[in-house]
Amino acid sequence: MAELGNRANVMGPQPIARIVEPPPAMIAAADALLAALIAGRRAEIEAAADPQARDAMRIIADSVKPGAYDKVTIIGQARIAKHWYTKARLTGRTAKPFTLQFRLGPESADGKDGGRWTVREATNLTEKRSAWSK
Amino acid sequence: MEKMIAVDKLARPEENILISLEQMSTARTEQGLSPFNAMPFEDDFLKSRLHGICAGEFQAMEAAGRTVFDFPDAPWEFKLDMARQVWDESRHAEIYMKLLDYVGSYYGEFPESEVLWSCTQAEDPACRVAGINRGLEGLACDVFEQLIRMAQKMGDEVIERSVDYVLADEITHVRMGSRWMRKLTEGDPERLKKAQDFQDNIDTIFNFSGSRTVPEDAKQIKQRMGNKVLDIDEGLTIAREARLLAGFTEEEIERLIKGFAKSAAY
Repeated sequence: MAELGNRANVMGPQPIARIVEPPPAMIAAADALLAALIAGRRAEIEAAADPQARDAMRIIADSVKPGAYDKVTIIGQARIAKHWYTKARLTGRTAKPFTLQFRLGPESADGKDGGRWTVREATNLTEKRSAWSK
Repeated sequence: MEKMIAVDKLARPEENILISLEQMSTARTEQGLSPFNAMPFEDDFLKSRLHGICAGEFQAMEAAGRTVFDFPDAPWEFKLDMARQVWDESRHAEIYMKLLDYVGSYYGEFPESEVLWSCTQAEDPACRVAGINRGLEGLACDVFEQLIRMAQKMGDEVIERSVDYVLADEITHVRMGSRWMRKLTEGDPERLKKAQDFQDNIDTIFNFSGSRTVPEDAKQIKQRMGNKVLDIDEGLTIAREARLLAGFTEEEIERLIKGFAKSAAY
């Protein structure tokens, strides 16, 4: 029996699909959103969010003191079909780390890269173990 | 150590994206997909389905482990069965992680929801095994039997054999659940009824949006898999044969089919 974990040894005729990489335009949108959050650029944050996510993004923006954070770490990313979740942490010398999770979706229905990506939901995970915390 | 732990106490790598069932449903319906589970007509069906199962195996392993711990006064043989199940589920998780690799995915590519764990939260061991071993593991029989048939159509022996191997264990787990649900409620019809109701609730939760019927009656759709176009089931089916092997009665299976057919979500 072939070792299933070794791609060179797989015996099924089904072509092995490629790993789906995060689209560069989505990564750029996530980076831009996080940069705007750190800098406190409220108009930019608001414009990046779909109407359904605006309140959640506003609450998150209220919790992030402009100038308190100088570093962003992307902790993880995962997708549901063509929408991507990003979990990120903001850190700075004078503030407690701030963790958030948000979902970006492409404006074009086919999800092709290069278009505009907007925030569809956002959650403040600071001081929570995860989004599973009630 | 704390008993009946909340779902967020489950240990996961920090990089994993965890979301609620409600979030998952919203994200999927916004994209025109069925609310809860990847369906065969979706582009990423195989990856997404295998990922959901893999996450389910982790939660099943954790649930069986918690059952050993949460009920110290349960019969020794009960705890032995649950301990055995922990070992089985851990092997299953490894198998599915390798299958994810096989289809060009990885554990963490998709978010994980808390729904399975929420189905384990019963303070009576009879309810716990009714929910997990009969409800969830019964569902696993359905999911795995369908995957095996798809793999056979694809001519993919790796998936077919791997999932068949896991299905054999799930059948045993259902049998264990049936045995312990009856044993623990002997002479106490009220307690038995509560356990059965707990299982019924779980069956209802997993009533997805597709038409659930036996494989022979399932509507077929065209799906491209690799370089082949296959006729596959439109939705999730009910594995009558596997369920019979697992000890479900014909009456219970009929009840499942009728229950799914009359549901509001259907």
